Amino acid sequence: MKPKILLLALALVAVLPAWAADGNDILKKVDRNLEPESYEMYRKLINIEPDGRKKEFVLYSVKKGRDKVVALFLDPPSDKGRATLRLAENMWLYIPSVGKPVRITSLQSVVGGVFNNADILRVDYAVEYNAEGVEEQKDAYILSLKARNNEVAYDRLKMWVDRKLLLPVKIEAYAASGLLIKTLHFKDIRDFGGGIRRPATVETDSPLYKGHKSVMLYSQLKKRELPDEVFSLNYLPRIEDLRK
Amino acid sequence: MLRTAALLLLIATTAQAQEFSFDASQFEKKPFEFGGYIELKQQRLELNRDAALYQLGFYRQPHSRLDQTTLTLKPEGKLRSGAFTLSARAHAEGNWETRQFDREFRFDELYGSYKPDPGFTLDAGKIPLKWGKGYAWNPVGFVERQKDPNDPDLARQGFTILAADWIRNFDGDLRTVALTPVLLPVTGSVNADFGSSGHLNAAAKLYLLYKDTDIDFMFLSNGNRSRRYGVDFSRNIGSNLEIHGEWARIEDTRRQVVDAAGTATTLAQNAVSSYLLGLRYLTERDTTWILEYYRNGSGYREEEMQDFFRYVDTAYAQFLNTGNDNALRRASNLSRSGVARPNPGRNYVYLRASQKEPFDILYFTPALTLIANADDRSFSVAPEILYTGITNLELKIRAFFLSGNTLSEFGERPNRRRIELQARLYF
Repeated sequence: MKPKILLLALALVAVLPAWAADGNDILKKVDRNLEPESYEMYRKLINIEPDGRKKEFVLYSVKKGRDKVVALFLDPPSDKGRATLRLAENMWLYIPSVGKPVRITSLQSVVGGVFNNADILRVDYAVEYNAEGVEEQKDAYILSLKARNNEVAYDRLKMWVDRKLLLPVKIEAYAASGLLIKTLHFKDIRDFGGGIRRPATVETDSPLYKGHKSVMLYSQLKKRELPDEVFSLNYLPRIEDLRK
Repeated sequence: MLRTAALLLLIATTAQAQEFSFDASQFEKKPFEFGGYIELKQQRLELNRDAALYQLGFYRQPHSRLDQTTLTLKPEGKLRSGAFTLSARAHAEGNWETRQFDREFRFDELYGSYKPDPGFTLDAGKIPLKWGKGYAWNPVGFVERQKDPNDPDLARQGFTILAADWIRNFDGDLRTVALTPVLLPVTGSVNADFGSSGHLNAAAKLYLLYKDTDIDFMFLSNGNRSRRYGVDFSRNIGSNLEIHGEWARIEDTRRQVVDAAGTATTLAQNAVSSYLLGLRYLTERDTTWILEYYRNGSGYREEEMQDFFRYVDTAYAQFLNTGNDNALRRASNLSRSGVARPNPGRNYVYLRASQKEPFDILYFTPALTLIANADDRSFSVAPEILYTGITNLELKIRAFFLSGNTLSEFGERPNRRRIELQARLYF
């Protein structure tokens, strides 16, 4: 009897990493389906208050490799020229009047509303999160993701992934305490050209901001390779030069 | 009935789609850009008639309060052609005060840039350099005009310089190296407030991003100002805490002290050190705390400041008794390069707490700022409310309450209280 239990235990041990690897494989595919590893894109962020009032921001972003992202505010004029840089877990904000980049943290928000810096300067999910479990449903995988370190903005994510398209449908973001911080809804799948077909709209709501909603709209997302020097503090005031 | 419902649903769906439409082509890059802001600020200052610095400034025209209206226009623009860019930011100000009207026009920045590739830039002209990681003070800001800790984010006027910037990125612990050499000439009409004419000052900053820590090394050659070296750092500890620091070594410093009898003595030291330590912490309730300690190595000791204030008291008494203001005028001249300049003391603490969007009110940020002289324990505390809910409009109300004993830094400032209302419209 005992050898049988031992064999069963060994089989389970052998199977468990395969499950974990499977979740991480799905996550990597989700990352690549959402965006090429290196790209440029334009986004509009809309914060909607409970009374319907809106505030909009337009950003130009470029990303390179697994963990280098930069975003430049193009509109409104009060925010024009602000630029944020992320290198792995390091984040900086450049404000033209201040004249030098200052370090910011992932949980802060440079735009107010429900989106924080980690949402705006998002790197690949697989860089920040490890898939601890996969639940298979008829149309979706549900990935249970755990932050790889304590510098990641959300401790856990629960990600609903469309089985056929391998694109996220919904993500719930949780704090270490288990508190639901926000929910992201991915909508409006669109062909951006160059083989990129992904949701063009991400809506966010949060129990911490009852009645408020934030929306992120994507445009002109395309593959682009840039030199590493672009992703540095000294280059932040010149990000506008990258736009064609 | 069904048709009407379907039509309404279609209209609603179309409205929703239109509400969230975005076409980035309307944000195409243009060869010429123009923007900026116009600001109206109204201030009321309640004056402290017993304070030494009040007596220096108001002995001829006593006032118990001042009203000040300031209209500022800061237009800025960029002109691009290939690898060349011309950047300008002007400052036009009209200032209506109870006693007089002042106006000023200047360029805060006006410079040309040559950027052949992302790793190299050459700039020439009037450029505001900002060195250091401190929020309220920057002891390593060797080639910039002094920051006002009450308004650390305010745009400042640059010096006319020639500067280059090399950036190199790597894989591994050392991710970025950037070198910024600077040449700053001083002539009768260029950079005259940096020192006397006839010097070409050389400075440099070396930036490293090493093991997720920003590190800068700075240097200013012996020229108009004595040779100085500096280093700063900044790094994040977790997702909500940042720590930073600066250290500067300034050679051959001279400091003029005035005793209670009015005798001025110049104290020379081989070198002094100034440093700053600070942190920025974001709580779970979205309160941002900024705490900094600043050691100003060339600042006045508490007893040196007290001696100067005693001298002003004596000079003021002499004026009241005899009408002779010679001593007061001399004290006023001495104060400009001494206790009346920003941060004249030796040890300071800065504490700022700002609460983002309390009670779920978006774009509403109340804050409280404390600046204290840690030697004489005098301080300024400033509550403020900032509202940015209307696109391109910033509304701010702020009050300053100064407190300190007689002969203390904030106790001898000309005003006891100040309230300001500010509206800034971006275009």
